[in-house]
Amino acid sequence: MIAKLAWRNIWFKPLNTILSIILLMSSVAIITVLILLEKQFEEKFNSNIDGVDLVMGAQGSPLQLILSSVYQVDAPTGNISYDSAKVWMKNPFVEKAIPLAFGDNYRGYKILGTTPDYLKKYGAKISNGKIFENNFEVVVGNDIAKKLNINVGDTFFGSHGDAAEGEVHENESYKVVGIAEKTGKVVDNLIVCNIPSVWQMHGSHEEHNHEQVGENPKHGEEGHVHDDHEADLTIDEPGMEITAVLLKFRNKMGIVTWPRIIAQNTKMQVASPAIEVNRLFKLFGIGINALQYLAYGIMLISGISIFIALFNTLKERKFEFALLRVSGAGRFKLLSLVMIESLLLCIVGYIFGTILGRIALLLLSNSAEDDFKMSFNPYDFIWDKEGILFLLTIFVGIIAALIPAIKAYNLNISKTLANG
Amino acid sequence: MISTKNITFQYPKGELFHMPDLYCTAGSTILITGNSGRGKTTYLHILAGLLRPKSGEIEIDSTNIVSLSERKNDAFRGKNIGVVFQKPYFIASLSILENLEMTSWLATGKKDSATAKKLLNQLGLSEHISKLPSQLSVGQQQRVSIARALINEPKVLLADEPTSSLDDKNAEIVIDLLTSLSREYKAALIIVTHDSRIKEKFHNQITMI
Repeated sequence: MIAKLAWRNIWFKPLNTILSIILLMSSVAIITVLILLEKQFEEKFNSNIDGVDLVMGAQGSPLQLILSSVYQVDAPTGNISYDSAKVWMKNPFVEKAIPLAFGDNYRGYKILGTTPDYLKKYGAKISNGKIFENNFEVVVGNDIAKKLNINVGDTFFGSHGDAAEGEVHENESYKVVGIAEKTGKVVDNLIVCNIPSVWQMHGSHEEHNHEQVGENPKHGEEGHVHDDHEADLTIDEPGMEITAVLLKFRNKMGIVTWPRIIAQNTKMQVASPAIEVNRLFKLFGIGINALQYLAYGIMLISGISIFIALFNTLKERKFEFALLRVSGAGRFKLLSLVMIESLLLCIVGYIFGTILGRIALLLLSNSAEDDFKMSFNPYDFIWDKEGILFLLTIFVGIIAALIPAIKAYNLNISKTLANG
Repeated sequence: MISTKNITFQYPKGELFHMPDLYCTAGSTILITGNSGRGKTTYLHILAGLLRPKSGEIEIDSTNIVSLSERKNDAFRGKNIGVVFQKPYFIASLSILENLEMTSWLATGKKDSATAKKLLNQLGLSEHISKLPSQLSVGQQQRVSIARALINEPKVLLADEPTSSLDDKNAEIVIDLLTSLSREYKAALIIVTHDSRIKEKFHNQITMI
C-alpha cells in the first residue's frame, strides 16, 4: 500500500517526475553504452590479436599496419617483398608466420590472400565445403555468406582495391569452395583465398612489380592487362610482393628485439598489436572518460532534481503526512514513503536508461557494421558493472530523499493540523 | 467510551492549561466550546494522542493512552479514534475510495472496501467514489472526512470545528450525519466548536474558559 501510494504520488506531479526520470535515464543510458562499448571493443580487439605477437609490413605508421593487417579497417601501409620477408619468416625464433596479401574486394568485403593457417589461427572451421586449394578458390566468412547469401559453388568477380566501386576484374572469377564458421572475429567479414590468386589477378609479376613500386594501393587504373593464358602462379614464384606477415614467436626474446633489428636492417617494420591497441585504447580512453564524467554529472543533476521535487512538495504534502499519522501510520512509514518515491523514480529511470542505452548501442552497432564491419551485441549484460551502476542509482535516490524523508519523519502533526 | 482525569498541558515555555475532565459514553455526544485561544484544539489533539499531556489520564475503552509508547499510540489511534478536521484533508493522489481504503489499511492492515463503499453510500457519495478529492465540493469533502473517520469503527469520534467552513445547509447535514452515524457505529462523539449553529443542538456542553 505504501509503495502503491508512493507510485501514485510520483505520477500525481507528472512533470517533475518525467524531468527526474529523463535525467536519470540519460545518464544511465550513456554509462550503459560506455560500459558495453568499452568491454566489447576491448574484447573484439583483444580476441583478434590472440596468437599474433608481431606484424611485419611496409614502413609507415605502426598503428596503421596493425589496423590494416589485423583488423582489416585501414588501408595497408604498402607492400613488402615476399622474398625478403621469407628470410625472416623462416627464422628459428618464429613459431608461425602467416603471410597476407591484400587483393580485391567483393561488394566491399575484402578478398584476402593468405594460407589456411590464417583460418586456423582464428579458429574458423569450414562449416560447409572445403578449404581453398587452387588459385581462385575462396572461403567466405560466415557473416558475408549470410548477408550476401553466398553458397558453395557460387562464382563472382572481384573489384579492385578496397572500394566496392573499384574496377571489376572480369577476366578471372572467384569460385566459392567453402563457408567458414562464425567466429565473432574479423574472419567473419573476409573472403579468404591463397596468395597466388591475388598475384595472378593482378597480372604477371613483371608488370606487377613495375607498377607496384611505391604506390600499390592506388594502382589499377591502367596497365591492368591480364593474360588469360598465363600459367597458374604458385606460392614459390620469385620476385613477388605481399602486404604483411603475422608472426607468432617461439622465443619471446624475438618480440622485444625484432622491432629494432628489422628497422635497422630492412625496409620493413614490425609492430606489436598489443602495444598499438593499447595506444588506441588510451586515445579512446580520454573520450570515454570525458563522456563518463558527463554522465555522472547528469546523474548528479538528476539527484538534485529529485531532491528539489520532493522538498518542494513537502510543504503542500505535510497535511497528507499528518493525516497518515492520524490514521495510524508511524513516523517510519512516512520516512519510507518518501524514500520509496525517490527509489521508484530511480528504478524507473534505471530501467529506461538500460533499455535506451541498448537501443543506442544497436543503432551504433548498425553504423559501425556498415563502416568498420564491427558489430556490438546490445543484449550483452555485464552484471558486475551494470550492478554497480544500479547501486549507484539507488544511492543517488537515497541521498536525494534523505533530507525530505527526515523532515517527514520529524513532522509535528499537532502543529501542522492546528495551524492549517 | 472515553474519560479524562486531571489533564494538564504546557507548550514549551507556555502557560499551563488545565483541561476539564470529561466522560462520554458510546453513542453520546459532548460539545467542547469556548473562545479561541482557550486550548480547544489542543485538548482535541491531546484526546487524539497527537499531543502528550503534562499529567493526567485519558482512558479509551479501558486503555490509558497517555502511558502508551509513541508507536503503540499511533497504532491505537488508527484503530480506535476517528478524527474530522476543520478543513477536509486528503491524500490528493488517491481517489475517494482509495483514501478510505488507505485509512483502513493503516489501522488494520486490510483494505476494507465493503465498509468504505457502504459508508460512502450512506453519506450519499456513491457516485463520486472514483473521483479525486479535489473534484468534490467542500461540503462533499467534509462528508468524506466523516466516512474516513468512521471506517475503522472507532470507539471515539473527534471533530475539530467540522462546520466552520460550511454554509448553513451543509453544516446542518454534517452535524446530523456526525450524530446519527456515531450513534449507529457506537462511537463517543466529541465536537470542538465555537459555531453557534451547533451549540443550540446539544445540551451536553463543556465550556473552556
